[in-house]
This record gives sequence, structure tokens and C-alpha cells, in this order.
Amino acid sequence: MKFLNKIIFFFYREYKLNLSGVQDILTNIIFFFVSIFIFIFSIGPDTDTISLIGVGILWTLLLLSSTLSLRKFYQEDFENGNLLIMHLNGFSYGLIAILKTISHFIFVQIPFLITIPIASILLNITNDKAFYLFASFSIGSLILSCLGSISSSMNLMNQRNFLLGSVIVMIFSVPVVIFSVGLINLEEDFNSLINILFGILLIIFVINPWASGFCLKLSLENN
Amino acid sequence: MIIVKDLSVERLDKKIFENINLSLTSGNITILKGRNGSGKTTLLKTILNIIEPSSGSIYWKGKLLKKNLYDFYKHVTYIADKTSSLTKLTVKDNINIWNKIFLSNINNSQIETAIKNLKLENYLNHKVGILSFGETKKLEFLRLIIENKKIWILDEPLSSLDEDSVELIKQTFEDHVAKEGSIIFSSHQNPGIYVTEEINL
Repeated sequence: MKFLNKIIFFFYREYKLNLSGVQDILTNIIFFFVSIFIFIFSIGPDTDTISLIGVGILWTLLLLSSTLSLRKFYQEDFENGNLLIMHLNGFSYGLIAILKTISHFIFVQIPFLITIPIASILLNITNDKAFYLFASFSIGSLILSCLGSISSSMNLMNQRNFLLGSVIVMIFSVPVVIFSVGLINLEEDFNSLINILFGILLIIFVINPWASGFCLKLSLENN
Repeated sequence: MIIVKDLSVERLDKKIFENINLSLTSGNITILKGRNGSGKTTLLKTILNIIEPSSGSIYWKGKLLKKNLYDFYKHVTYIADKTSSLTKLTVKDNINIWNKIFLSNINNSQIETAIKNLKLENYLNHKVGILSFGETKKLEFLRLIIENKKIWILDEPLSSLDEDSVELIKQTFEDHVAKEGSIIFSSHQNPGIYVTEEINL
């Protein structure tokens, strides 16, 4: 029960922190929508073309927008010593990684999920395709959060090049984008493709606490 | 409680310190003295099992620290040389979060007394980011009181504090030691606090 309380209050802490930095979340969403408008203006008024490539555009922009927040994944807690203090208070490095990943999913990715219906209207995406997009991004965004956790924890040891973390996430998210966009365009293969996405999620979810935890340990040791 | 035997640390083939011995029992205060860069923070982090020693061993309650780490962490807390308070939040929010996340067994009236003793009552609704360095340092001590652990490991707790704040911290040290707590802290100056052991690095 005590352990459960600690986890609940960890999320309370994350909620308070994200509430105080709500402008960052809004900036991400604004970036996402401004980018959609730029795509629409650059493609022109042909609704069929926009509709055809809309899903790909949305997935690319969701990926780019969610990588914007990666710099803050562990950085603040690392710099002010909170990672160490949490570790001394019974949170293992792996557990910190899992909790921070779930927190990133809740406070960064879910706002994007909520905006998908509006973005779908702007890109003339049909209702059924919007539903598949929503389903694929629900799973894909958790995969992106796990990848973000690994790359951000690696980046703590590399204070010079923050963009490297975003590049790593984008390279490793290529299979996720392939299967997610395929899932929407090949509707008859929905079950098989969503199972593959689930499979990728399970693999990365298991690797994440181990890999991120190890990087957190190393970065605290070398700090 | 804590025994450090012949502890040496090397980083990037450079000797930071070697053959350090110390013991800390309840009611004791140990000071680590040395110039900047002499390895005080490294020694504190090695005792906390964050940094691997190159040789030597640390014991906690008679067992090797590594084999008794979970129990050790239940009894130890740490102040780094920078503030761990969340600067975007108010002092009150920070206190609430610590109180809940550390599952503190200190009740509200004890916390209020500590806030008054540390003269932080006027800043409860202020964001930590706008507090002075001395006030954030006092807030760190409030965290120690909320965590309510026996062993305090403190990195330069008295640096950049005015005389009144140093007196306040000395009183906090005395109160903690009177309750059978123990303290290891580092300082590059003479703090004017009664200590039971002095380690020069």
C-alpha cells in the first residue's frame, strides 16, 4: 500500500510540474497545427491529394512535435538532484524510467491524441481512417515515449548535443511509422498490423527500464 | 552504523583520494574538510553508493553496504550543493509533495514548527525560483526534517549563508544529533560547529 501511495504521489508531482509548465504543452500543440497549415498551403487546394497523404503528414508531424519535449524528459530532475533523492527514497532507476515514461505519455502524448479529430478534419481524413489513426497513435505514442526515455537518459551523459536524442528517436521510430501508416491505408490488415505494433510496444516497454535505468545510473555516477 | 575502510577512488586514471577511514555512529557529526576539488563530494557520493570505489569497503550495520543497500537508503538522506526544490512551484507545493512522496511520519504541526524555526513562514506562497540562495538552502533543511531519517549526508550545507542562517543550521544540527541522528557534511571553511570526527582530504 505504501509503495502504491508513493507511485500515486509521484504522478501528483508530475501533474503539478506539468501544470506549472502548461505553456510548453500548448507550444507543442501550436507547433503541430501550424505545421499542418504549412503543409496544406504548400500542397494547394486539391482535397484528394491532401486526403491521400494526410495520414502520413499527421504521423510525421506527431513524431516531430513529440520529440520537441524530449529535452526536458530527465534533464531538470537530473540537474537539480531530484533523480538522486528519489533513488535514495526507494525508487530504483528502472522504476523512475517507467514512471517518467508513463508521465510523458499522459502529459505530452495524450494532448496530441485529443487533437487528432480536429487535425483529421483539416486534412480531409475520413472518419474511419481517423479512428485507425487514433488507434495506431495510441500505441505508437507510448512506443515514442519509451524511445524518448532511452534517448534522453543517454543524452544526460552528452551535455553538448541535445539534438542527438531526437535524431535517435526518429531513426528508431521508422518501423513504428511504417506499420502505423500501413495499418490505416490497408484497413483489411488492421488486426495483424496492430498486433505487430503491440509487439513492438511490449519489446520496447521491457527494454526501456533496463536501458534507461542503466544510463541514469551512469550519468549520476559521472555527474 | 557506517564504517568506511581504506576507501580510495580513481576517476579517469586520476586518484581523487585514497585510504580514507571513518566511522559514524548515532549522535555523531563528521566533517570532511578540504580545498575545492579535493574529493569531498566524490567521497559523499561513494558513501551513498552512487560512485564505485576503486578499492576499500563501506559497511552498514556490520554488513557490506552493497548487500544492505535497501535498508541503508531507508535511513539516509542527502543535500547536494544545489537546490533540489522544484523552482517552478511554490514553497507550500514543494512541502506538500515531499510530505506525500517520502511518506513522512512527521505530522502537520511538526512541519509548521520547523517552518517557523527556519523562518520560512512568509514565503509559503512564493515560487522557489524567486527565493534567495539562503532561503532555498533553508528549504532543503526542511526537506531533511520532513524525510525524518537518521543519517544526514550534506554537501557544503553552510556555503554562501549569512551568520543568522548558519546559527539556524547549527541549531538544526544540534536538534538532530540530540535525537540520536548523525551527520556527515563537507565544508571548505571552518564552520564553528562541534564535530566528533574531522577528515581532511
